[in-house]
Amino acid sequence: MTPSPEGRPEETDMELIDRWKAGDSRAATRLVGRHSQALARFAASAGERDGIEELVQDTFVRAFASLDSFRGASTLRTWLFTIERRLMLDRRRAERRSRETVPVQEADHVSEYGALDSLIAEEAQERVRKSLDALSPTQREVFTLRVQQGLSYKEIAEVVGSTEGAARVHYHNAIQTVKEFLRDE
Amino acid sequence: MNKCTDSDIQELLPDLLHGALAEAEKARVDAHVATCESCQEDLDVLRTVKSAAVFAPSIDVDRVVRQIPPYRAIVPAVEAPARTRVASWLVAATVALFVVGGGSVLMTRQNSSGTSVKAPPIDSAAQVAITQPSAPSRVAVATPNPKIAEPASSHPHALALAAEADGLSDRGLVQLMNDMDTFDALPGSDPDPVISVDSGDSL
Repeated sequence: MTPSPEGRPEETDMELIDRWKAGDSRAATRLVGRHSQALARFAASAGERDGIEELVQDTFVRAFASLDSFRGASTLRTWLFTIERRLMLDRRRAERRSRETVPVQEADHVSEYGALDSLIAEEAQERVRKSLDALSPTQREVFTLRVQQGLSYKEIAEVVGSTEGAARVHYHNAIQTVKEFLRDE
Repeated sequence: MNKCTDSDIQELLPDLLHGALAEAEKARVDAHVATCESCQEDLDVLRTVKSAAVFAPSIDVDRVVRQIPPYRAIVPAVEAPARTRVASWLVAATVALFVVGGGSVLMTRQNSSGTSVKAPPIDSAAQVAITQPSAPSRVAVATPNPKIAEPASSHPHALALAAEADGLSDRGLVQLMNDMDTFDALPGSDPDPVISVDSGDSL
């Protein structure tokens, strides 16, 4: 248990979960506050542009609804990433289906560009985004989970439903691609 | 620039970035990076990528929490034993249907031919055969006795009821099907259609 800024020992995720189950809604606030930004960053770096807050919200609603199935075999954050990733995949499948049936409106381009524009503030950051776009979806997930979230290969394998060995290979390939992209820019 | 060949160190660079290495390991990685240009470049790239993660919008925690439903403990399912009981009753009913239906077939055969019914050769040791024509309600469990399980060719209308249908051999199944085709109690065809006289009120 790590100490909080106030000097009190920081409660673990499992302790907060138990408190929430006992009816303490403040425990939910602590858990959401602790993990929401990491989820938002993961979604953004995985290529999500719109509705990230909604995605994070859905992730927590689903997670809290099935907290009894969380046994603590992995960290809560890893488990949340797994849920969020599934939601992203569902969302992309739904978008792909709607794109097949509904013609793309001009306004869609405008709103997407506007959202992107607001997210990208500096040139260096746009270069990073472009370099990540050059990766395959799985490479991008593995690379951002490793570099931006600091997850271990074992945790990454859990999130993306793969093996540690495969995660290592994806990481090595990804860093080579990103490095070459940034070098050539 | 020479490419680094120490993949172990390369894999630990993100951990170095996140301060997740133990002291001894951190010292080892630091010492390597100090002399390896390739790893220095990797580390620069990783720093850039990590710092670029600040684009994500800030999340309104209270708004998220408001959407979370209150906790309701999952009560252990009580339906499971009930389903087992229902399944047991279904199995028992199916077995009873086989026994009663088979008994009816045998009784019909016995009444029409007046001969005893014996079991055809069946692989399964568990066979049920009615052996006494005068007392059809009595059911005897046969053992794999060659005197009881005589060849079907000598008794063309013989019928055996296997305790488990899966235990029937192909020959036994064919015999059973043939007997069912000639079963007198079954209706010969579908009932005649009933033509109602419409009064003209409908439609």
